[in-house]
This record gives sequence, structure tokens and C-alpha cells, in this order.
Amino acid sequence: MGAPLDLFAAASAEGAWTVSEVTRRARTVIEAGLPPLWVRGEVTGFKAWRSGHWYFSLRDKTAQIRCAMFRDDNRRLPGPPPEGTEVFAFARPSVYEAKGEFSLTVKELLSTEQGGLWKLAFEKAKAALQKDGLLDPARKRRLPPFPLRIAVVTSPDGAALRDIEAVITRRWPLAELILVAAKVQGEGAEASVCAALQVLGKGTLDVDVAIVGRGGGSAEDLWTFNSERVARAVAAVPCPVISAVGHETDVTLCDLVADLRAPTPSAAAEAATPDRVDVLAHVEHLAERLARGLSQRAQRTVDRLDRTGDRLTGAMQFRVEQSRALLTAHGARLDALSPLKILARGYAVARDEHGRVLKQVKQLPAGREFTLRVTDGEVDARVR
Amino acid sequence: MPGFGEQLERLEAIVRKLEAEDLDLDEALKLFEEGVERLRAAREQLTQAESKVKKALKGEGSGR
Repeated sequence: MGAPLDLFAAASAEGAWTVSEVTRRARTVIEAGLPPLWVRGEVTGFKAWRSGHWYFSLRDKTAQIRCAMFRDDNRRLPGPPPEGTEVFAFARPSVYEAKGEFSLTVKELLSTEQGGLWKLAFEKAKAALQKDGLLDPARKRRLPPFPLRIAVVTSPDGAALRDIEAVITRRWPLAELILVAAKVQGEGAEASVCAALQVLGKGTLDVDVAIVGRGGGSAEDLWTFNSERVARAVAAVPCPVISAVGHETDVTLCDLVADLRAPTPSAAAEAATPDRVDVLAHVEHLAERLARGLSQRAQRTVDRLDRTGDRLTGAMQFRVEQSRALLTAHGARLDALSPLKILARGYAVARDEHGRVLKQVKQLPAGREFTLRVTDGEVDARVR
Repeated sequence: MPGFGEQLERLEAIVRKLEAEDLDLDEALKLFEEGVERLRAAREQLTQAESKVKKALKGEGSGR
């Protein structure tokens, strides 16, 4: 702080200072005497101006100080500090001459709670999403096994797109990549990602799965994907969404709402697609089964034909044998009835010259000539 | 182009039917022919050389 102050030493000859002189002097003294420092206090009377600058006070039980945090400094923060939050502010003490007001120009703001303001805003947004059921595990959709249209929401010239393209080309070139360009970091990224997600949300692109991502980057840049608006836009996409924000350690709101979280864009592309080598092997296996299926089916027909043939032959054989037996039986009966058989037993048949059988005595008067048939031939005979 | 997934599902169904069911030979042949056609299409899709990157209609607010 240097030498003790003697504020009246430089009084003008007239014995009075102008207001401007006092405030300028006060500012000089304060800025020289109080270098930038960390201040701990409670936020009160917060107001964000249209210009983007923030104005608020820090207070404790007995005092308060006006604070300003300019747009370039507060832009990197996740959001305005809620009223009453206790914070650490890294600030440069000064005097705002136009109002003669002692104030702090805040360069950095952290919540005293673990993780700071980021965490606070994150938890608040997370609670809001939870309340609306957007973090419900039952909401998670299954990724399609064979996607043909894959949307990628990312920067058109970032590493993420190149990585995804390389993986898809290697694994699953059947798929068409549809780039929905968005600015993924820096100012305006939140609005840009939301707009891209809304294009997807219309459902007119007819995609099977979407990857929202970016390559690596600082944790501050991650904030785009911790925005509640972005998270809600992800939830509204009609197809499954893979979040690939490229940060291994920090889980973003976008990760939580997405159907799957991948550590990198390449990993997201792998998760989104099957490997065509595996699928091709499966298809070839099906081809074998198809061929075998048909040949087995054909074999069954041949077998059946064979069996039918066997039965036919069997049936025929039976019939033939049956007929043969019948024939033998008939033959035996016929044989038994044969007159030749009777003749063989010693009987004879007498016939007249017309071949009529002579059975009675009156047909055989004396002197009658006739033929007598015996077993081995005929003889001529006459009645005496 | 029908979805690759549907194509594969139909092919699997055909194979299962052919393996399990006692179909008319005529019907089996018809299924086989359909299976062969779907196999051909699936192989063709899988051996396709390169994926295409298409830019969607510039979403409002996209770009820089």
C-alpha cells in the first residue's frame, strides 16, 4: 500500500477540489493500493443488461460492494449466478467516477459450492429435465441394427465429421451420412446446435439415427452441450440420438438426454453401425442354410417317392401271390372234377356215333355199336 | 431400396421356413428363389464401395 495517504496534501489553492478531481484521485489511489484480488460474498441485486454486461452487488453481514462483470468475461460462464449464491469473485477494485461509486470489476466468478457455478447451473438444468421425465432410462431408444441414413450434427470442417466418415466408410458404407451443419463452439454455438437439431426434429430428413458431436475441446466449450435448450432439442429428435461430445470425464446434459453416450465421434460411429464383415459372414451363413434347406426339402420328396414306389411294388407282389394261390386252388378243384380223373379210377364212358353218352340199358340193345372211352384212349365195341 | 434390416429379416424367415416346415416342393422352390434374390441384393449392398456424405439443407443458424 505504500506510504500513508494524505488526501489533503494536494488541495488546490482555492481550498476545494472539483468532484471529478476527487473521484479520479480516489480511483488512482484505490487502483494502486488494492491490486486484483479474490473476494468472497453473496450475490444480490443481480441485473443483466441488454449489452451483455452484468451488474450486481456482493455483500456479507455488514457491508456490500457494487460489482460489474463485462460481457467478454461473463460469456464464458454457464449462466448468471442465482440471487443469494455465495461466490468467489476475482476482481479489480476501482471507483466508477461517473457515480463516485466504489466498485469491483469482476473478471472471474466461482460458486463456493463444489464445482462452482458450472455445477450449479448444470444441476439446476438437470433437475428441470428430470422433472419433465427427459432423463428417464425408459426413454432410451434402441439403436437401429442396420441404419441406412445417419445424420451428423457437427461442424462441417471439424475433426468429428472426418472421424465419423472414416469409420462409416470402413464399417458400414451402405449408410448415407447426412451432415446437418452447426457451429459447435464459441459464441452462437448453442443457437446453432439447437437450430440443427430442430431441422432433425421435423423428421423430414428420414434418418435412422443421429450423432451429435464435436472433437475434443476445453471444458468451457463444453457448455454448449450443457445447455438445457440443447438438451431439450436432443430429446425432441424423433430418431435415436448418440451424443459424442468428445470429453471422457465430464458428462454433459446432452449426454444424459441422448439415447447413447459415446466418448468420441469415432466411438459414436462404431456404436451406430454394424461391421459389414460380420454381417457379410452372417449372410453367407444364411446362404448355406438356404441351399441346404432346399436340398433337404428335395431329398424328402425323393425319399417319399422311394417309399411310395416300395409300397407299390409290395402291394403288387402281394396281389400276384394271392392270385397265384387262388389259381392253384381252382386248379386243384378243377382237377378233381375232371372226367379224365374218373376214368383213371377205372370208370369208362360209352358214346354213340354222335358222341352222345349212353347211360341207360335201353340205349344199348343187342348188336349196338358204340365207342368206349377209357383212361388212355378209345376202343370200338358192340353189345352181344 | 428396402431397408437392409427388413431384407435380412425376410431372408432369415425364409431359411427358417425352409428348414422347419414341410412345404409343397413347389412352394419350397418359390421361397428358395426369393431367398436367392434377397441374398444377391444383400451381398451387393454389403460390398458397395463407399459411403456418401450428403449435406442437409443448410439448417437455419447453421455454419459459422
